[in-house]
Formats: sequence, C-alpha cells, structure tokens
Amino acid sequence: MQDFTTNLTMNGVLMERDYIISWKAAGISLGLLLILATALVKPLGVSTQFVVSDAAVVHKVAPEFAESNAYLSKYGNKTDWGVGYGWMLVLGMFVGGGIASTLLRKRQPEQDKGSMPAMWKQRFGDSMIKRYAAAFGGGALLLFGARLAGGCTSGHMISGVPQLAISSFIFAVTGFGAAILMAKFLYRSSSES
Amino acid sequence: MTTLVIGFLIGCAFGAILYLGGATSYRRILGTLRLKDMWIIKLMGTAIGVGTLGIYLLDLGGLANMSIKPAYIWGVALGGIVFGIGWAVSGFCPGTCVVGVSEGKKDALATLLGGLVGAFLFSLVFPFIEASLFETANFGQITLESVLGVSGIYLAMGLSAGLLGIVFFVLKDKYE
Repeated sequence: MQDFTTNLTMNGVLMERDYIISWKAAGISLGLLLILATALVKPLGVSTQFVVSDAAVVHKVAPEFAESNAYLSKYGNKTDWGVGYGWMLVLGMFVGGGIASTLLRKRQPEQDKGSMPAMWKQRFGDSMIKRYAAAFGGGALLLFGARLAGGCTSGHMISGVPQLAISSFIFAVTGFGAAILMAKFLYRSSSES
Repeated sequence: MTTLVIGFLIGCAFGAILYLGGATSYRRILGTLRLKDMWIIKLMGTAIGVGTLGIYLLDLGGLANMSIKPAYIWGVALGGIVFGIGWAVSGFCPGTCVVGVSEGKKDALATLLGGLVGAFLFSLVFPFIEASLFETANFGQITLESVLGVSGIYLAMGLSAGLLGIVFFVLKDKYE
C-alpha cells in the first residue's frame, strides 16, 4: 500500500494521503491539551472511568455487593455515582471523536475504516467472530492491567511521564515492552509489512 | 459544575485529536508495536515532549495541578505487562476504544465491553491482593525530580529535547 501511494506521488498523478492530520500536528495538539488540562483541573486519564461505570451499574443492580467490595465502593455509591471531571472527559472523547469522524470521514484513509483491519485479516483470516473475540479478550486484559498499574496510556504514558513520575516510567517500559513482544509473537510467521 | 464542563470540552478535543491523528487505526498501532510504522510512537513522543516542558513551566509558576501515581513497583510492572499484551491483541487502548466506538468500529466496541468486564474482574480480585499490592515495594508518589534531587524544570528540558530530537530527527517513518 505504501509503495502504491509513493508511486502515485512520484508520478505526480495524484496524492492519496494516508492520514487526516500528521503525527506532528496530533502530537503537538495533544501535548498542548495536556498542559491546558493540568493548568485547569488535572491531567488526562481514562481507565479509572471503566471502574466508575462498573460501580454505577453494580450499585444499581446489586447495591449490597457494591458497598461490600473494597474497590467498587471507592468509586461512587448509591447516591453519588462518582461521575465527575474524569467521567465527563471520557464522555467528551466519545462526542468529540463522533463529531470529528462525522465531519471528516471522507478524509479518513480507506484502510483505517471499518471493524476488520486488513493487517489482521491477512494474518488471522476474515472471521469477524475471531476479531471481536480477540478485541474483547484484549480489552479485558487492558483494563485488568491498567487497574492493577493504576493507569493506562493516557494516565500513565501521556500524563504521567510528563510529570516525571517513576511509576509512569515503569508502566511505559513494561507496557510497550510486553506489547512489542506480543505483537511480534502474534505476527511471527507473517512476512507482510 | 464548571469542572464538569471543562472535563467534557477537554475530552471532546482529546477524542477528536485521537481520531484525526489515526490513533484508532489498527494499522498504525500494530505498525508501531511491530516496529514497522513509527507513527504512533512519534505522535506520543511529540505529545510527551511538549507536555513535559509545559507542565514543568506551569509548575515554576505554581500552576500545575499534578497527579503523581504511586510507585508500587511490582503492581505497576505486572499491570504494564498485562496491559501491553491486551494492547497488542486488541489494537486499542482504553481511550482509543472509546473513540473507535464513536466512529462506528465494532471491534472497538468489543474492546470497550471487554474492558468493562476486565475492570470488574479486577474489582473482584482487589480485596485479596490489596495488602500485598500496596505494601510491597511501594515508594509512594516519587518522581525523577525527588529521586535525583535535581530541579524538575532541568530534567523536563532534557527529557523534552531528547524525546523531540529522537522523534523528529532520529526515527524514520517506516522500517522494513
């Protein structure tokens, strides 16, 4: 795909960009947003809100269990569900992502659309069930790990490292390390690039 | 109330940036994790480079509302490993799966639902591991500044320059 794009560019026929905004633009904007958030309220974070959401549901469905659980009871209770700055931020991510994708979908590279990534399909076949199962299982590991570590890509890597937090350096190294090894393992027999 | 509105608006910008920057793209995430397409690491490195200097500049004026996570070494390291495996398997992280759902990706929805289950499973396990988790090798809210005894702004300048230098001038966009 890259060769194809490069060829088109080199021949000067037409340029098919394989991005909407560059990593530079996105990275600088994200850095500035982090600074703004830290100045106004506090840095960015997402994974805690999965527990807040769980706690809200469990408090509704099984209030006694929720009260008795040492973890869930920390995040919201029967009357106050713990919905605050952090939860509104995640809600905002959904709304902001939705608005951006609605307005600019035609600029999004075709290969980044849809629920079946081409790279995945080439390696693991076109079973949607398999893709969803992996996404679900991966999601469970993501949040179990993030809660164990106290943060995720946003809270630890994007926000924690800039605060020079030792815990976040540890998370960045072990998180990226494990992810790189796992990706290598998953695509071990693949020659596709 | 104001805080809630600010949170929502910052979230909107965050979600839009992740979508526009391709952070919800499996091709980009796995490309970076397979060390072939450096897009995501460059995006993150730039954000961290800009953010580090900015936060410590704010801190000079006493304006940074920092939130340092405690360093309970084993829990953080093990959590990072479990997280990393999930990241490579799903292709999303907790934030990008929310944005992925907003653009209609069903595999992102599967990750989000899995994440709610994973967080719930952690809450079931938590009572049994709480004591050992936070009492073993927990150094509290330490930072590079507190450990090295060097003023944070100097460290921030060094880290920012180093990261931005690597991302802009050392790393190529793609590797075979």
